[in-house]
Amino acid sequence: MSISRRSFGIGATGLMLGTVAAPWVRNASAEPAPIKIGVINSMSGGLSAYAQEGKPAFDYIIDQINKNGGIKSKDGAKIQLLQADDASQPARTATEARRLITEEKVPLLTGTILSAQMLALTPVLDELKVPTLSIWAGGAKSTYMYSLGYPYDRGYAQSMHDFIVSLRDNDKFAIKTAVMCYSNYEAGQQVNKFLVEKLKASGIEVIGEAPLDTKAQDQTSAMIRIRSLKPDVVTGLVTPRDGILMHQARYNLNYQGSLFVGGTGGYSDLSLWKDLGPEIGKAVLTRNLFGMTGFSAGAKMDSMQKIIAELRDVAKLDRIGQGAVQYAQGARVLQQVLENAKSLEPDALLEAFKSFKIPFGDPHLYIAKPKGLQFADDRLLTDGSAMMIQWMPDQSQEVVFPKEFAQAAPRPKS
Amino acid sequence: MIGKGFYQTLASPWLWGVLAVAACLPLVLNSYHLHLLTLALVYVALASAWNIVGGMAGQISLAHSLFIGTGAMLSTALLLKFGINMWAGLVIAAAISGALGAMIAWIDFRFQLGHLSFVLITLAFAEMGAIIVEGWEFLGGASGLLLPRDTGDLLAFQFGGGHGAFWVMLGLAAIIVLVNVAILNAPLGYYLRTIRDNEKAAQAIGVNVLRHKITAMTISAVLTSIVGTCYVRYLTFADPYLLATPTITIEIVLFATVGGLGRPFGPALGALLLVPLGEVLRGQLGGAVPGLHYFIYGVVVIVVILATPRGLLPLAERAWRGLRRRGPEPRPASVS
Repeated sequence: MSISRRSFGIGATGLMLGTVAAPWVRNASAEPAPIKIGVINSMSGGLSAYAQEGKPAFDYIIDQINKNGGIKSKDGAKIQLLQADDASQPARTATEARRLITEEKVPLLTGTILSAQMLALTPVLDELKVPTLSIWAGGAKSTYMYSLGYPYDRGYAQSMHDFIVSLRDNDKFAIKTAVMCYSNYEAGQQVNKFLVEKLKASGIEVIGEAPLDTKAQDQTSAMIRIRSLKPDVVTGLVTPRDGILMHQARYNLNYQGSLFVGGTGGYSDLSLWKDLGPEIGKAVLTRNLFGMTGFSAGAKMDSMQKIIAELRDVAKLDRIGQGAVQYAQGARVLQQVLENAKSLEPDALLEAFKSFKIPFGDPHLYIAKPKGLQFADDRLLTDGSAMMIQWMPDQSQEVVFPKEFAQAAPRPKS
Repeated sequence: MIGKGFYQTLASPWLWGVLAVAACLPLVLNSYHLHLLTLALVYVALASAWNIVGGMAGQISLAHSLFIGTGAMLSTALLLKFGINMWAGLVIAAAISGALGAMIAWIDFRFQLGHLSFVLITLAFAEMGAIIVEGWEFLGGASGLLLPRDTGDLLAFQFGGGHGAFWVMLGLAAIIVLVNVAILNAPLGYYLRTIRDNEKAAQAIGVNVLRHKITAMTISAVLTSIVGTCYVRYLTFADPYLLATPTITIEIVLFATVGGLGRPFGPALGALLLVPLGEVLRGQLGGAVPGLHYFIYGVVVIVVILATPRGLLPLAERAWRGLRRRGPEPRPASVS
């Protein structure tokens, strides 16, 4: 058998190229498989405002993590996001979770996952045993569920209660009576239950309730009831839509007889000014009103200011509110959990959630938590506190509580 | 007296063959696909139960979320608040739903409601039911209720998770479809169709309209309530916005209409096609372009309704007959 010059040339060239290319070939094959994360957001439907604002920030931070070498403890594995839309329906959240876990084989889930969706998801997570980080749920029933949301009790209710008591005791506001005015839906009812207990325990008499019908086109009747009761303070959890209608009714009735202290979107969302217009906004938002929020552009917190600047100047996001910052925080939580987990097995990931901690002062702490971020035994944040703000006529906010982040004292009643 | 059509259906090898194949599906399908099929069966059962009133009697009831909600929320609340076994809860909820259905049918007859008035009255009942559920803490309020984990204890109305729930829903859906076949082949079916086509004429020839309307609505309400109880056991979470608002009834009406109103297998066909289609579209497209799945789903429904206004079942039957004609020539029937 003879070897022709042509065959020899091809063989020798192949050998040389193979030798030169070998390191790259080896590197390419050694590239770790991406870590799949299932992301179930409410991108359409009635609850889409949360994810519409938050998803771009979440995607941006994950992109940054990948560009900066991925998950170091997993040989630089990149994070691959598999997106799903639950159309704001809890039963669909469960369906999408099932699909992502069984079809896409994701070891970890995250997403908007509000409280009702968390409840619907619980049996699926218990059955399929996949750790999940909710961005917004106010509870975590499954042992596989952790949440960055404010707990109804020590989050929403405690923050509003502490501020009202602080107004009374430290700032000498005359507060003896309260009317509970809240959006009459799942979270509104839950927070109200805890808030009533806490106010009563602090000696504030609850003289009535004025729940806001979430389907109503007008909240004048609720405001008339409040006016007739004339409490010192009106408080509760109010959605942005109900908040707009409530503030419109308050403007129309020109009611300034009570302090309005509430959360979150219906009192502190940046969109309120746009929907109310500058005239109504100035008349009702800047007088006798304080709003609860987890994020405010003016808060005295370096890491929060930096992420706002980064999302605005580098990521070029046009909406940077509480939703964006909460989602950005969620991405950093997942990064640390993946870094700390010994493997991607459920038990290892759960252990990483348990030992997770971002202390106050850490550059990756984006939301206002004086005690830093870590999960309690109930799988919610140990520090559920939020800030209270007051609106300025130029549509900016001033943080007034707690003192760690406060820029100004609460404006006196007028 | 039930006509022979029912017994022919019951004796059909096709029926038992399809059921036998379907019963084996949990052994080969993964959790997600099994869930889609279970969901489709829930809607087969609901749409078929609604068909007794909406299809056969021609009364477009939007009150069925009231019966689903009663079956789901009440039985759950009775278990969680009073420790009443869910089997008993199922019976209690079904009895209450039956009574509510009879009351609505009586109101319809007593006040001689026209079609539009009947739709609006039933919608009002559904909305009232939703408001009661969302505002009453006993029924879970707006937060809903979370059932204990399904450990497979049959005596406690637990079916062992996905596989068990599929078999239960398959059995329930089959029974309700067969109830449709039975009614259609019984005098009640003839009376209901007479009432649907011309109520005054039916009355003139001696059909007891009140009695038959109440009977149809009661049967439909009881069956719907039972499906509601089984559905919530499968979901584990009793979500008031899913189970007690009229949106779910509108979905049921849509499936029944697309499949074929008034026919026993029409609503089943509609649900079996549209439920997986909606879920798969959302799964594949929902993450990429939010809302696109709704758009495509809507276009498909519009095209189907425009192309075949009487539903997909008549179309499928025509296609089936066409296929059979192309087959070998049948032997001529013997003449005695």
